[in-house]
Amino acid sequence: MKITKKKRTKKPLLRNKIRNGERVRLEGVVKQQAAELKEKNGQLRNGARKQLRSEEQIHIRTKAMESAVDGIFIIDVKKPDFPVIYANQSFQKMTGYAKNEILGRGYFLSYGADADPHIIEEIKHAIHQGKFFYREMLSFQKNGKKYLNLLRVTPVRDTRGGVTHYVGIQTDVTLMREKELEIDEQREELLHVTRVGKLAEFVSSLAHEISQPLTAILSYSQAAQRILLDREPELQKILSYIISDDQRAAEVIQRLRSLLKKSAPEMRLLDINALINETIVIISTDATVRNAVVKTEFDANLPLVRGDRIQLQQVILNLISNSFDAMENSQGEREILIRASRKDSGRIVVEVKDSGCGIPAKNIPKLFTHFFTSKADGLGMGLSISRSIIEAHGGQLDVENNPERGATFYFTIPVDKNDA
Amino acid sequence: MSNPGPTIYIVDDDLSVCRALSLLLKLHGFKPQTFTRSADFLACSHPKVPSCLVLDIRLPDINGLALQDAMAERKLIIPIIFITGHGDIPMSVKAMKAGAVDFLPKPFTEKKLLNAVTAAILKSKAQNREQAEISKIKRRVKTLSPRELEVFRLVAKGMLSKQIARKRGTSLQTIKVHRGRVMQKMQAKTVTELIRFAQKCGITPPER
Repeated sequence: MKITKKKRTKKPLLRNKIRNGERVRLEGVVKQQAAELKEKNGQLRNGARKQLRSEEQIHIRTKAMESAVDGIFIIDVKKPDFPVIYANQSFQKMTGYAKNEILGRGYFLSYGADADPHIIEEIKHAIHQGKFFYREMLSFQKNGKKYLNLLRVTPVRDTRGGVTHYVGIQTDVTLMREKELEIDEQREELLHVTRVGKLAEFVSSLAHEISQPLTAILSYSQAAQRILLDREPELQKILSYIISDDQRAAEVIQRLRSLLKKSAPEMRLLDINALINETIVIISTDATVRNAVVKTEFDANLPLVRGDRIQLQQVILNLISNSFDAMENSQGEREILIRASRKDSGRIVVEVKDSGCGIPAKNIPKLFTHFFTSKADGLGMGLSISRSIIEAHGGQLDVENNPERGATFYFTIPVDKNDA
Repeated sequence: MSNPGPTIYIVDDDLSVCRALSLLLKLHGFKPQTFTRSADFLACSHPKVPSCLVLDIRLPDINGLALQDAMAERKLIIPIIFITGHGDIPMSVKAMKAGAVDFLPKPFTEKKLLNAVTAAILKSKAQNREQAEISKIKRRVKTLSPRELEVFRLVAKGMLSKQIARKRGTSLQTIKVHRGRVMQKMQAKTVTELIRFAQKCGITPPER
């Protein structure tokens, strides 16, 4: 380009005679062209620099793809079996195949022979339509080991807009899913125990309420029998019926109670900080949904406590979920702070502090009794069960409103004697 | 009021339960007194007559087990029959260990109640006799001179007159005189009886 421009400017100079007057104009032209040339030169130098820079960028991009923890691959979809034209190291590691076993070969081979053919059909279908595809599927490594593969493939278009390739990312989510499953199971177990506990407590309370009048009826009837003694055989018979029905009702209660007998707590040595952390993991989804933050402040080196893991988790879970409810209509920041510290030589205290609506003073005395609730869908069992669990562990559960806002529930628990 | 029978205290927060049990026990010649709060029972006077307490475990003010402790602290010795509407096995174990006579799950029959009350009254009578004897012994102890009390304590510990004399640095004769006077004032016929008296009123510290 440089040369042709020069030629174009020189040719007229050679063809025409140089006249006075013209000369001045031509000199101007030459100057101008020299300037243009200089500029072009600069541009060229720039271009070279740019090219160097883009080479560097390509290098970085390739390196980055190689370093990614996710498996990244490119397949050529113009060919029928979708051969792989690029696969990064993570892809090789995930599938267990070496580079030469992957490149140039059909992409679907990397799933292993046991992979679900229906899913492969789905992917092929998506590719034929040039669509994005997203799926979690079971895949098999070269050695047969299975893994959960979170796969995402996206079409790559050429300059004319036609789909020529697909770029894919796959992630091994096996461990993640296992962990989630574990947390789900723990949550389910806890919820089950809580439900059974609530029911048992409910039945126990109900049994108590009913046994009071049954006691009175039985005693009144037997007193009446005694007063009548040998008189009024008809009335005597009626009284004996009342007595036997009273006892029948008592037996029903007894059966119900034995059906829901609380399982004996499993007392073990526990690290209270670890226990709280485990519980927080269980409610972490809930916290996210409710837009709340759960923070912790643990004293290091707290002694171990002796207790039933599930029961204590139940208490902590109950306190946290109450805090969530209390912060439901909170305008400000929704924050729960859980603290575990040494109360004195023999006890640890765990505090659950929220920034919710607090507790009206008139409700505080009733808070821990059965059936007391301020929630529309509450049973009024949570706190009373929590208190009985803590008391069975030799501790105390209580509450105080915070000076700023919200409330703090706190419970003490004795440290294990051997660890004090 | 004119009922001469043993006193049965009934503490239950349910007024109807109080009334019904009271009626039934009255018919059997007992003298029931009902309370719906533990504090009221503690506040009333408890004459030293054969008596027992029918006590609900769960009460609004002081629960039954705590009342049992409070009574022990105040040396209020009255046999207790616990009654409960909760199937509380751990609680019943605790109550029985702390000296309850019986534990009746509600509702209970007249027969069960009477059996328990009868046993409790028998225990109360025995306890009252015991208490009477102890106060009699304590009264006798008060008549001893400081020297005699000292000798009494040492004899009760099983020391021979000779050993006491050596320990006190006095003559055997003097100790024998003190000892004779202790036996006489304590109205003990034998040393064995004297030792039993000492056990009954507790090993008395010298200043008492």
